[in-house]
Amino acid sequence: MGLGDILPGGGVSATTGGFGAETPTFFTSKVDALINWGRMNSLWPMPFGTACCAIEMMASAASNYDLARFGMERMSFSPRQADVLICAGRVPYKLAPVLRRIWDQMPQPKWSISMGACASSGGVFDVYSMVQGIDTIIPVDVYIPGCPPRPEGLIYGLMMIQEKIREESLSKHFEHRAEDPALVALPRASAAEVVGLTGPFGNSTQQDQLTGGIIVAPDTVPDDLLS
Amino acid sequence: MADDSISGLDAVEEGPVSSSTDSGGGQGSTGSPDEHPTLAALLDRYPDEIVRYRLNAGDQYVVWMKPDRSHEILEWLKDDADHLYDMMSDVTGLDYGNGRPINVVYQMYSTTYKLALRIRCELPLDALEIDSVVDLWQAANWLEREVYDLFGVTFRNHPDHRRILMPDDYAEGHPLRKDFPLRGRFSRAEQTRRALNQDVERFYLAEDLVRGGAPQEVAAAEVGGAISPSESDGGET
Amino acid sequence: MSSNTVEFNIGQGREMGVGGAGTPSPLAPFDIPEPDIGTERMLINLGPQHPATHGVLRLVCELDGETVTEIVPHIGYLHSSFEKLGEYRTWNQIVPLTDRMDYLAPLIYNCAYVMSVEKLMGIEVTERCKVVRVILMELDRIFGHLLWLGTTAIDVGAFTPFLYSFQQREKIYQLHEALTGARITTSATRVGGMMADLPKGWLDQLVEFVDEFPKTLGEVHRLLTGNQIHIGRTQGIGSISAADAINYGFTGPNLRAAGVAYDVRKDRPYYDYETYDFEVPIGEHGDCYDRYLCRMEEMTQSVGLLRQAMKRLPGGPINVEDPNISLPSKTDAMSDMESMIHHFKLITEGIPAPEGDCYMAIEASKGELGMYVVAEEGSTKPVRWRVRPPSFVNLSVIPKLATGHLLSDLIMINASLDIVLGEIDR
Repeated sequence: MGLGDILPGGGVSATTGGFGAETPTFFTSKVDALINWGRMNSLWPMPFGTACCAIEMMASAASNYDLARFGMERMSFSPRQADVLICAGRVPYKLAPVLRRIWDQMPQPKWSISMGACASSGGVFDVYSMVQGIDTIIPVDVYIPGCPPRPEGLIYGLMMIQEKIREESLSKHFEHRAEDPALVALPRASAAEVVGLTGPFGNSTQQDQLTGGIIVAPDTVPDDLLS
Repeated sequence: MADDSISGLDAVEEGPVSSSTDSGGGQGSTGSPDEHPTLAALLDRYPDEIVRYRLNAGDQYVVWMKPDRSHEILEWLKDDADHLYDMMSDVTGLDYGNGRPINVVYQMYSTTYKLALRIRCELPLDALEIDSVVDLWQAANWLEREVYDLFGVTFRNHPDHRRILMPDDYAEGHPLRKDFPLRGRFSRAEQTRRALNQDVERFYLAEDLVRGGAPQEVAAAEVGGAISPSESDGGET
Repeated sequence: MSSNTVEFNIGQGREMGVGGAGTPSPLAPFDIPEPDIGTERMLINLGPQHPATHGVLRLVCELDGETVTEIVPHIGYLHSSFEKLGEYRTWNQIVPLTDRMDYLAPLIYNCAYVMSVEKLMGIEVTERCKVVRVILMELDRIFGHLLWLGTTAIDVGAFTPFLYSFQQREKIYQLHEALTGARITTSATRVGGMMADLPKGWLDQLVEFVDEFPKTLGEVHRLLTGNQIHIGRTQGIGSISAADAINYGFTGPNLRAAGVAYDVRKDRPYYDYETYDFEVPIGEHGDCYDRYLCRMEEMTQSVGLLRQAMKRLPGGPINVEDPNISLPSKTDAMSDMESMIHHFKLITEGIPAPEGDCYMAIEASKGELGMYVVAEEGSTKPVRWRVRPPSFVNLSVIPKLATGHLLSDLIMINASLDIVLGEIDR
């Protein structure tokens, strides 16, 4: 009875309250709110800007759309001092290890935004040199569609990150921040997932999706077409 | 709807439909050598090397030459007082596909005479080699590297003959050739794996740079106006 | 009070001292053995992710102290194979690709590409279309130079011009959006004309911009042009001679700052540029300061060109009235069978091109932009679409320009070349 019944996490008593893997308490939720408020209002973005989306990111930081009102005007170009990686623009395979390395260099807590169609899925560029979505390389928290997204779109995405932070809890600290050291600096998605991410044609119009071999017989044509 | 019309979506997947006509020799105007002074002079001076010429796009003359004496011809075009093609605007490659020769296309411009000329050189697929013109126009340095990277044409005597746009160890081939699929030869998973195995610190070693070693080896003239404290003689700062 | 005369050991303190020949500085240390400073060269890697490289450019530099002795630029970190993609797209489907190469001045690329295809096909656009394209190209010249101005200033520590230039760019973004619906990736042109005519009120908005813009440009002039810090960081830095500039393939303001009077609008004019009254600024020394001055003046000249173009803008159709080239209006396509068939054929097949090739040179904001299209008889897609990017050749000169200068000068030189990696890597 008492507070334990109405707080999230069910019955908790003073003996199990506190940080760590136990269920949250009233005290921890206040501390969570304070910490989350601090984190979300002073995010330091790491602008990994490559192409056109980077220009829209710069326009968001300029006076008309002004990221400074979110506490994000300090664009940190050193990943060691950054909180949120904004990958703005297309990422070719030559740049992929650089992106991965920068992501690995960011200390926890960190979040990432994939800004634009090219970062989210490869965009217009389903070609030999382009990464088909940076979520094959790094974990992504928020995807912002658009080519390029308007500054309002980027701001909305940043606000979604803020929402995500607001929902975090210190008692789930290890869940949020978990990173398997064995998987760091390797592609995030497995081979089958990566291939599956590139759409119905696999890698090329003639290549089989998983094996990479050349299909000799064409795909069967659906029989509900008129011609 | 005719059966052989290609819908817009299919067209996106298919590459260009190449015809079987001879590249550039078909219909269209051949122009007249008198209209372009360089063309007349080229035909006069190198009659055996110039294969053919054509007038394209209304007012642009294109000349085809053989690859053997290409360096000599281009050098003459640059240095001859009546032509002085001092600006090499572009060097690019052109692959028609279907086993046809790969063209190397030079776009040249003379700032003195305000004349532009396009010279093409056909290289058979089993002999994709041509002399580099970097010693004539430094602009050709990166332009030729790109032609090598994307088409596989070797430029003899190029000072820095390596890939420029693709990673140096790119194993899928030369991308802009017509027989190279749009999405590459490896599967996406393989491409991702190879990409992540690249060492970002490559080309960060002294061996990749031309010079190395102790500062005293640098001649004072080469460092321009910069201060070289270890080399100061008494009295000068 | 002891006098200040102290015995200085002149020979050994010389390297650390600051004074002129023969005069020991009172601050010079004495009796200190020469320190054993390591004399190896240092390898520094700039990029590809770096605030001051203006994109994903990697510069591996060998430094002797602060002096750059060797630079090797690495590009290809944004290679998106536009040219190969172009081979799989019909002529009009390539227009959206052109925005994404030079994303700082997309309308220039849009116009340059369709101009090249129109020349190949022998299509003559309407008078109105010509003037509208001149307006759009000059507007985007200002657009591109403004970004160069903001980012170059911020690279050397001047934050205010960045905010001023982005504020002006916002106005041009509004103009782009009013015309095409998109701020950056405009895709405004089509083979034979434009995607749409100028909307109502667009010209008034442009007149407003053109009236207000010179004031802001004047403010930035006051901030930078006579500023001793700016002059100290740009004069004499990264000089190149005229002959070298031509040989190395420089074009655009970089070439003109070196003293070569080559502007594609004047020497190989298109769209009646020879009938417009404008000057092309030519520099003397080919250093960063001259490039800065050339671009600033070019913006002023572009304002003049915009006013002239707006005055002479004729009425009439914006698209060529050939149903085999331009799409018919929607009302026609919905009501008239022939128009519907033309619409259908243009969308599903595209415009067939004659055999041949065409190299069209345009004066983009960064230099001579060349669009080379090769077509076979009746093809609706290019056999080869080649973009000769001005920044690609401009960037290749950076080892020559920056060797011997300090590392911070390298940043300034890189900024003054006005490169955009989207077009370099394509």
